[in-house]
Amino acid sequence: MNNKFKLRKTNQSLWKNIAIVAGIFSFIICMLVLVNYMQINRIDPVKTELINSLVQRLEENPNDNQLREQIREMDLLVRKAYFTNQWQVKAGGYLFLLGVIVTAIALQMFYAGKQKPPEVTESEQENIILFKEKARKWIGVGGFGLVAITLLIAFLTHKELGNKFTQAAMVAQTATEESSDVEVVEPVKEEVKEEQIEEEVKKESEKPTEPVVDEKKDEVVEKKEPEIKKEAPTKKVTSGVSYPTKEMMANFPAFRGAGGQGVSYQKNIPTYWDGASGKNVLWKVQVPIHAYNSPVIWGDKLFLSGANATQREVYCYDRNNGKLLWTAKVEGIAGSPAKSPEVTPDTGHAASTVTTDGKLVFAMFANGDVIAVDFNGKQQWAKNLGVPDNHYGHSSSLLVYQDKLVVQYDHKKSARVMALSTATGDELWSTKRKVRVSWASPVIAQIGGSTQVILAADPNVASYDVNTGKELWKLDCITGEVGPSVAVGDDGTVFALNEYASLVAIKPGESPEVLWEAYDYLSDVPSPVISGDNLIIVTSYGAVVCYDAKSGELRWEQEFDSGFYASPILADGNVYLLDRDGVMHIFKADKEYQEIAAPALGEKSDMTPAFADGRVYIRGEKHLYCIGK
Amino acid sequence: MKKIFSIFSLILLSIVDFVAFAQTQRFPRPEFESGYTQPVTSMPEPRAGIFALVDVLLLIAALSLITWFIHKKRSRTGVVVTSLFSLVYFGFLREGCVCSVGSVQNVVLALFNPGYHIPLSALAFFVIPLVYTLFFGRTFCAGVCPLGAVQDVFLLRPVSLKKWLQKVLGLIPWIYLGLAILYAATGTDFIICRYDPFVGIFRFNATFFMFAIGAAFLLISVFIARPYCRFLCPYGVILNLVSRVSKKHLTITPASCIQCKLCENSCPLDAINKPVEVKQMEDKRSATRRFILLGMIIPALMIIGGWVVSNFHENLAMVNSKVRLANELLHFDSNTMEESLEIEGFRTSGKTNEELYLESATILKQFYYGSWMLGAFVGLVFGLSLAGLTRYKYREDYEPDKGECVSCARCLKYCPVEK
Repeated sequence: MNNKFKLRKTNQSLWKNIAIVAGIFSFIICMLVLVNYMQINRIDPVKTELINSLVQRLEENPNDNQLREQIREMDLLVRKAYFTNQWQVKAGGYLFLLGVIVTAIALQMFYAGKQKPPEVTESEQENIILFKEKARKWIGVGGFGLVAITLLIAFLTHKELGNKFTQAAMVAQTATEESSDVEVVEPVKEEVKEEQIEEEVKKESEKPTEPVVDEKKDEVVEKKEPEIKKEAPTKKVTSGVSYPTKEMMANFPAFRGAGGQGVSYQKNIPTYWDGASGKNVLWKVQVPIHAYNSPVIWGDKLFLSGANATQREVYCYDRNNGKLLWTAKVEGIAGSPAKSPEVTPDTGHAASTVTTDGKLVFAMFANGDVIAVDFNGKQQWAKNLGVPDNHYGHSSSLLVYQDKLVVQYDHKKSARVMALSTATGDELWSTKRKVRVSWASPVIAQIGGSTQVILAADPNVASYDVNTGKELWKLDCITGEVGPSVAVGDDGTVFALNEYASLVAIKPGESPEVLWEAYDYLSDVPSPVISGDNLIIVTSYGAVVCYDAKSGELRWEQEFDSGFYASPILADGNVYLLDRDGVMHIFKADKEYQEIAAPALGEKSDMTPAFADGRVYIRGEKHLYCIGK
Repeated sequence: MKKIFSIFSLILLSIVDFVAFAQTQRFPRPEFESGYTQPVTSMPEPRAGIFALVDVLLLIAALSLITWFIHKKRSRTGVVVTSLFSLVYFGFLREGCVCSVGSVQNVVLALFNPGYHIPLSALAFFVIPLVYTLFFGRTFCAGVCPLGAVQDVFLLRPVSLKKWLQKVLGLIPWIYLGLAILYAATGTDFIICRYDPFVGIFRFNATFFMFAIGAAFLLISVFIARPYCRFLCPYGVILNLVSRVSKKHLTITPASCIQCKLCENSCPLDAINKPVEVKQMEDKRSATRRFILLGMIIPALMIIGGWVVSNFHENLAMVNSKVRLANELLHFDSNTMEESLEIEGFRTSGKTNEELYLESATILKQFYYGSWMLGAFVGLVFGLSLAGLTRYKYREDYEPDKGECVSCARCLKYCPVEK
């Protein structure tokens, strides 16, 4: 018989000291990590009191570049401190673990050395009967305790949830049946004949022209006939009627031009002006209420809107002399909320650009009001679509297709796209969309023989039949808070992008395909534009690039000092791109970057310009400008 | 020497890991302005096929090795080395996933949800330790489970708990197992993983609350051996049952017990059954009467348990995210309340309120029936435990309790008997 129990000899004082040192080290690290952790939880690097007050000061003195730089430096410092703190917590965690391991090992060794040989003591024998009795008793007590607590909580919190859910489902079902959200499909109306449109264009051009008075120079400028640029890009038409119509192409009827495609069909566009000296500025007027929507043009009239928390207005200007012809006040609309929704200052209450069909002007506001006024400023119809639940503010612009006003209404509570009758405002069709809030605008284009409304919103790019609202195709390829609208190439390829997502070239169809994808240059506000196979992408931080639309190969890239919120417009063979400081960057839409000019407005602007023959119309922060040769 | 080598290996591994971590801290994740917060990943990336196979092979190798150490070599040092390996590999390097304890839920989900295909590695991690336990006792608990290993590292001054208290606390894992099965079967959550006190430490991503719970368990482990394994681990109770019928369980003595009593206090888990002398036995007639009585009330306990827990089913169902959202939506007033991120997410999902309510009503019904079963199960466990406490078994030798013993091999060196 041999006892295998061996007493281990260890250097007890050494292990004891190691345990003490490692234990103290672990304790200190643990405390530091806890303090750091609490600091991280307390600090929000995006909202610090000091930086907020400095930003407020900067808003009062926007030209204080030193202050701007100071804010940037402080912001960087705060963010660095935040991430350093996070790093420290994690690194501290590793050190703490290391300390604890060493302490545990040292203590194990220390106690191993203190081990004594087993002793056999004549201890009182365990009373099994007593143990079992006690165990039965406490299991009984524990069981009763559990039952009592469970029943008490159950009866105190009982809600009949099952019945409530079933009833709520029935109520929701009834509400859905009664609501107008049900898709209404209207039979396709007969297309307007081409000859008819041509006749209308003729009539428009035959209207007596008024002399154009330049406010500044008092010069009389002859009004030019609306003329369609022959070499302007046109889409292949396989259905009966082309879109955009000649009439629309002769004007600039919507945000980013006819169909929202980012193309202007006008010619003789000026390339040089100077806002400071007034050179080539034909007139300049102050807009009554500021907003971020862009001007649109039909004939001699220019339309835009303005709004704040209490007022909403539509303005009509004589585009030849800048005279405010009328102001239509948007008020007393049934269903309109008493209080405007909260919007962020960089979106405002009227970020949606108005649109026109040549007879009526349509405007939409952040509170869901939609109004149609005739060319004399008289309200034809108005309605409220419900307040869009949008944390920045609604910004999707409107488009007209024949007798339909197309509204992209993607907000948190219910996302949908709808067509309202331009004559009455009645809903012609409405299609629900499973998407998140979108700030992009619809684009109407002819693809493969059908006229489609193409929309971008997280998580997809989707296309709808403009006549019926039926979803034609969709592709999950976009995420985040989508701001840019899509661009459509001559061959029907759709280009969509968003910041933190990707730039995607989509071949539309029943089973749409991703042709190529790129990730380097993405936009969160400006929309792309395409000329031939040159796809121009503009970022809000100042980079402008050109991709080969067919292959996705990067052709050129340019960095500008100021960022861009306005979208580029293809006009007269050039790209017109207004930066946030009001400098218009004009360059060739070509394989190589070739700058034409960079005239300055002298006023900041985030709005996309509108074009008429020989003229550029720019809405600045405060003023509306007409620029001509 | 072996011990010092193990210590240095562990320190070296920690330092290498720390350096690798420091090198990755360059670019923080982007911040969004819409109130969106990056969720903390609760599970590590799924393993590629070959690595999952490596994990399974390592599990088999570790189990075989530790079983060999316990049964053939009768070596505690071998158990310690294997458990350190398991702690480092299955714990810190594999971040505690996939683990046998949590795999119970995968199996349950696969049984109740035909659309769920259980990963083969999860199935293997569930079955293989059971097979080893069936033949050799709980050798998995001895040193292959990282949760047990991490608690063993901290065990310094073991104290004995009162036997009756151990019996009462030993019922908790059964309730926890029942809850875990209910939540996995309804597809609600894997609560064993979510509330695993050590996995957040292995992954360095524990929330403050979970870190505190983990630290508390480790502090308790200094005095009470393996508190999680004994009083919470749901997989432990399954192994406990299987181990009771194990073919070749660890024995304290390699030959015949000589009643020297040297091993009497050697088990920190109090898993050594002492000899029971006939004189200690209760009067046979009254014990039999009590056994029959308790046996007869088991069905009543099951019905009472079922009724009680079924009344509690709404509270249990509130863990389900859909039921919680439906309840929130039911009480949501857009005029006076601000929309939560959950409601906002639901609105943009395109799902209708009707669909959500109907789905939640169905889930509640599942919970109602599930609660009846859970209550009946808990009643059965209480009934059987009470009945079991009226049984007296005559025993001559010092033997490990085949259910409770985790085969840690601490007691072996106390036995002077040789083969």
